[in-house]
Amino acid sequence: MQISHVALFALLTTALAPALAAETACPQHYAGSTSPDLLRPSLQQGARELCFSAFGVVHSAVSRTPLWSAELLTPARVARAARLERKDTFHAEDRLPEAERAELEDYRASGYDRGHLSPNHDMPDTTAQRESFSLANMVPQAPWANRGQWADLEEAVRKRVKAGRSLHVISGPLFEGSELAQLDGRVLVPSAMFKLVCDLQARQLVAFVLSNELRPAVTPRYETVTLAALEQRLGMALLPGVPQAGTFGKLVLPGVTTAP
Amino acid sequence: MHPYANDADSDAIDGLTIENGTDRLSLYGSLTLTRDQAGLARARQLLALLQQAVAVLEAAPLPEQIAERPATKVANPFG
Repeated sequence: MQISHVALFALLTTALAPALAAETACPQHYAGSTSPDLLRPSLQQGARELCFSAFGVVHSAVSRTPLWSAELLTPARVARAARLERKDTFHAEDRLPEAERAELEDYRASGYDRGHLSPNHDMPDTTAQRESFSLANMVPQAPWANRGQWADLEEAVRKRVKAGRSLHVISGPLFEGSELAQLDGRVLVPSAMFKLVCDLQARQLVAFVLSNELRPAVTPRYETVTLAALEQRLGMALLPGVPQAGTFGKLVLPGVTTAP
Repeated sequence: MHPYANDADSDAIDGLTIENGTDRLSLYGSLTLTRDQAGLARARQLLALLQQAVAVLEAAPLPEQIAERPATKVANPFG
């Protein structure tokens, strides 16, 4: 989705059914070279695409978070990423207007981590790594998730890639329920997080949803959901460039514990 | 990294992630101190970090528990 198209898209949706194919300025990050579509009109307001060297984001001025972050992981990329030193700085996204973006101050003393959507450890070079520390690639994430299950899932994805598969990954927040938590009166806290992992060559995919409750009594586990169910919950089409994605088989990621 | 100096730094020792904050220093992940030169270098790195953190914590009076800024509840704008 190009920035100019977002505004146009928002205008058109009042008159047209919101099923327009999105255009993206960075098709290399997306399965079938096509970025997800924001079908629910409330998601389209204040949405802007941001292209980074190793991932693509659509950012919302309403939540002051990304709505998704998408990346293509290849064995070569993950091998390069494994050799990189992990030292960087979190920063506000300077390509976004101040009125639309999160600041470091918003997260301070909130109890939430700044959770990467496209993970630091997937970044193949220092430029991409620096970009991954933009708050435009972050959501407020419960520490138990960010440091535990979510990190384990990211590692399981890389392990699968290291074993020779190229995978498309889309990660993002779910904003469900009548009320949401908000940090600093500005940044919305996701009720849960999703990660969709797609192997185009094998025609397999899997979608995970993980709670983002700050202090759960019992540590939640992943639920796996179908692509259609996840898209319904999100109000998005996640793989509009992939024909018959709904018929793909289930991708198995060893090492990810899911709810029974 | 200077502990508690800013809300921006992120660093790592082996698989241990270190995130700086003006209100908290977070360390998470895993770190193996092998009984070799690399293990010694990592152990020294961790020790230096902790010594700096303790020095900052000891330098001024501390509350018993730091106050969080609790999230507020808002109507879901995407609902």
